[in-house]
Amino acid sequence: MSHVAVTAVGSDRPGIVAAVTGVFVEHRCNIEDSSMTILRGQFAMMLVVDAPPDVSAAQLEAALGGPAADLELVVTVRPLPAADEEAAAEETGDDRWTVSVYGADRPGIVHGVASLLADQGVNIADLSTRVIGSAEQPVYAMVLEVALPAGVDPNSLADRLADVAAGLGVEASLHPSDADIL
Amino acid sequence: MAVRPVLELPDPRLKRVARSVGRVDDTARAVAADLVDTLRATVACVGLAAPQIGVDVRAFVVDVTGHRKARSCHGELVLFDPEVVGADGPALGREGCLSVPHYTGDVVRPSRVVVRGLTLQGGERRVEVDAFEARAVLHEVDHLDGLLFLDRVASHEAVFRRKVYR
Repeated sequence: MSHVAVTAVGSDRPGIVAAVTGVFVEHRCNIEDSSMTILRGQFAMMLVVDAPPDVSAAQLEAALGGPAADLELVVTVRPLPAADEEAAAEETGDDRWTVSVYGADRPGIVHGVASLLADQGVNIADLSTRVIGSAEQPVYAMVLEVALPAGVDPNSLADRLADVAAGLGVEASLHPSDADIL
Repeated sequence: MAVRPVLELPDPRLKRVARSVGRVDDTARAVAADLVDTLRATVACVGLAAPQIGVDVRAFVVDVTGHRKARSCHGELVLFDPEVVGADGPALGREGCLSVPHYTGDVVRPSRVVVRGLTLQGGERRVEVDAFEARAVLHEVDHLDGLLFLDRVASHEAVFRRKVYR
């Protein structure tokens, strides 16, 4: 078995998931992890599928051409090197924290926050943004799930985050997203 | 009295509605002892329900002693045939479960709960719990009805890969 990363984006309509996953079933591919959502009317799919040895990424790409043409989807298919899977297995060791950022919409918020996190060696595991509020007063809201490596102190990261947020005119907070085993 | 293996998804025994004890006898007490032993043997675990160790009865143990999120704390709380008789004050919290390894989820649950059940001695006990202890009790009562936190996650975005506990 080998892993293949697949993305597909196109104008949202019923049937996209059914059509794309139909190709996986035909080729005996198993969906491992996936994330799919609507972004401003565009349906965006990201999947990692497990393909049997006799099915290549190129074959999958060719087969996905059918639904891509029918549904006007932009599709990419990429075989994943085994090294990526090793990295994925290791990612779970760090402490998980949630970063919330919100404020008046302006360009550069994601970049400003992400640059700080990158400088600190903090990995972003999940990020979603939405413009909320009214048309006259759009509010940008971003929530990130991040992994703090052992050497990073949450308090000093929170301080730096506050500085970056102040520079961007937005609010930011950091809180542990630790779960309790019940 | 023994530490028992904890069942994990997709074991179908986690999804059935457990049977009432009715009367607390030595068999029921032995189940409770195993629950306590298994809880004690598991790092950072604050609650366990009988279905999780493969026993089809309505029993759980919760112990939030020393937990930083706890307010009310009844120590080692063992109840048979528990029944939630009052609940209010919704709160969001992230939960993990020994039976759902590697994942956690954000679940909205009442933060103040009154629960009634039978004690180890067989008498009826009524307990008021809040905050973290309430969450733990409700999570365990759910197990008795075949419900996992996955059945209650706040939204599809609220399921997360869990960090490894070492």
